Amino acid sequence: MSLLEIRNAHLKLDGKNILNGVSLSVNKGEVHAIMGPNGSGKSTLSYMLAGRDGYGLEEGEILLDGNSLSEMEADERARSGLFLAFQYPVELPGVAGMSFLREAVNSRRKFLGEQELNHLAFVKEVRKEASKMFVKDEMLKRAVNVGFSGGEKKRFEILQMAMLKPRVSILDETDSGLDVDALKIVSDGVNDQRNNDNAIVVITHYQRLLDYIVPDFVHILSDGVIIKSGGPELALEVEKNGYTGLINAA
Amino acid sequence: MQHSIKDDYINSIRNYTNQFEDNNFRSIACKDFKSWPGPRDETWRLSRLGSLSRKKIKPIYPNLKKTNNTSNLIGSKIIHFVDGAYRDDLSSKLPSGVNLSILSDSESLKYLQKIKKSNLSNHPSTNISLSCTPSIIKLTVIKNIKVKDFFEIIYEGGEDSHSVHPVLYIELEENSSLSVIERFNHLSSLVMPLQLTELGNKASLNSIKIFNDNKKTHNLSAHCINLSEKSNLNSFSLIKGGVFTRSETHAYLNGCGAKLNLNGIYISGNKQHHDLTTAIYHDVPDCTSKQIVRGVLGGKSTGVFQGKVRVAQHAQRTDGQQMSKSILLSENASANAKPELEIYADDVICAHGATVGELDDDQLFYLNSRGVPMDKAREILIKAFLEDMINQSVDNSLHDFVFKEAELALSLIITKETL
Repeated sequence: MSLLEIRNAHLKLDGKNILNGVSLSVNKGEVHAIMGPNGSGKSTLSYMLAGRDGYGLEEGEILLDGNSLSEMEADERARSGLFLAFQYPVELPGVAGMSFLREAVNSRRKFLGEQELNHLAFVKEVRKEASKMFVKDEMLKRAVNVGFSGGEKKRFEILQMAMLKPRVSILDETDSGLDVDALKIVSDGVNDQRNNDNAIVVITHYQRLLDYIVPDFVHILSDGVIIKSGGPELALEVEKNGYTGLINAA
Repeated sequence: MQHSIKDDYINSIRNYTNQFEDNNFRSIACKDFKSWPGPRDETWRLSRLGSLSRKKIKPIYPNLKKTNNTSNLIGSKIIHFVDGAYRDDLSSKLPSGVNLSILSDSESLKYLQKIKKSNLSNHPSTNISLSCTPSIIKLTVIKNIKVKDFFEIIYEGGEDSHSVHPVLYIELEENSSLSVIERFNHLSSLVMPLQLTELGNKASLNSIKIFNDNKKTHNLSAHCINLSEKSNLNSFSLIKGGVFTRSETHAYLNGCGAKLNLNGIYISGNKQHHDLTTAIYHDVPDCTSKQIVRGVLGGKSTGVFQGKVRVAQHAQRTDGQQMSKSILLSENASANAKPELEIYADDVICAHGATVGELDDDQLFYLNSRGVPMDKAREILIKAFLEDMINQSVDNSLHDFVFKEAELALSLIITKETL
């Protein structure tokens, strides 16, 4: 059984067809990359998976570990082990990073039937993961994403991923707004979490990120459908010839 | 006549003041009371007193025996008012450099004249409370004294069908400083607190007010503030109690280099009506005023923020900032914001903004996407909305206390709105 299964997903926004029958199977231990030009439906796909209001499926099905996600709210999906790293992480003025992480982690632990971590154990765990992402204590005391640089925001996203230990992570344009050094830190953070029991879906415009997070499969999304799937070499083909050739051939 | 109840009330006050000479402050104040403000009165248009007119009330005669010390006191020096009367037996002995006195008739007349110079001269609490207050209490901090103790002024007592009239005068002489928290916990139908605060040159006052009267109480607070050269007032109000609470403050920046923070929060549920009305008068150059107001409204409540900033022609280099934000948690709640800038000087920095809205969808989704359920996400965002501002405006040592007071009020609204 696939860990994440998207079957014939159709979705409309404001009456316009955005996803027109996306199907995708992601197994444990796999990394999939979804590439596509602007407007192909990449971000819509990630919001649809995460369960954002207004992004419900017209037709089709999504399953996580064999369980349908369609009827679950965003928070239930997250607690079940789905994680979305945002392209534009949202600022939460007045909500300190540390208490935000704690709220998130405890929600997930409660779902898994694990005891909430006590304060000391929690702080220890955060510090361990934060140091890998070069996130300093001072940053965790600040309000979530408020005044963070582009790199800090993305590093904080991956720190959340590390703390929540999701089954499936969707990284939506995680490379946008990152310089080479930050890209390396973020990619190392993601690679560190790859294991045989989880899966990662990387959504990106560019091949560059895939030099760092090497996918097992690459899919090309265009006009809301996957027009071609292949191995990492497909990303190199996009880099060389652009999307147009692939789209025309499809 | 429809308004006979109101007339009865005023008549009972007139009967009381009749025993005094015509030139007594009580007689003058009573004569100056013309009528209750109506919907045609621009500053009361959004806060109507209609429901008050249907109540049967009379001014309370202070019960000096009662010692209903019901509030959980937090100050290191306590000044206690019961039924609007100062209670020496319940109050602390004050440190040296701080005096508390009861104004004589002639001093009271001067007090009245000072208030009458302000735009509070026709406020109902001015005239009615000066007519029938038990006495005007003056708290003075002597020149150069920096008071370390943190003062708590507690206003309690009153009962249904009665009105209560505490009148206070706080004077900080030159280069002195004081921190005060005032808590309004009345049980009466009507409370009309009147206050005059005067800061001498370089004096500094930290002031917190928490309005938490009984759920049936109308509180019409009136406060006049005069700031001299380089004085500093940092003021914060939390309005959460009463069925109708209006805190009206007029602050006069009369000395160059004076600084004023006039911040406030209202948290309203059920059918509560909360009103924060302020007027800041920049009458001399080089003064600063900052104002942040936040409101959270649920149920069928109404919030009002009216903030006037007037900058006189010669008040150059004024820095006046004002920002009000309200969050509506229910379809039946409403918030009114009326910022007003009147600027006659040309070299000033003045900004104001007012927003009324719901919680931000992007923020809620971000929290949901981390596994936080919707009701918890709402609670987190609302608390953050207020905590952020309490952090900015309240002294560290009182931050926890004030935040808890806000949290208590919020918990009542949030559970109702999310069920």
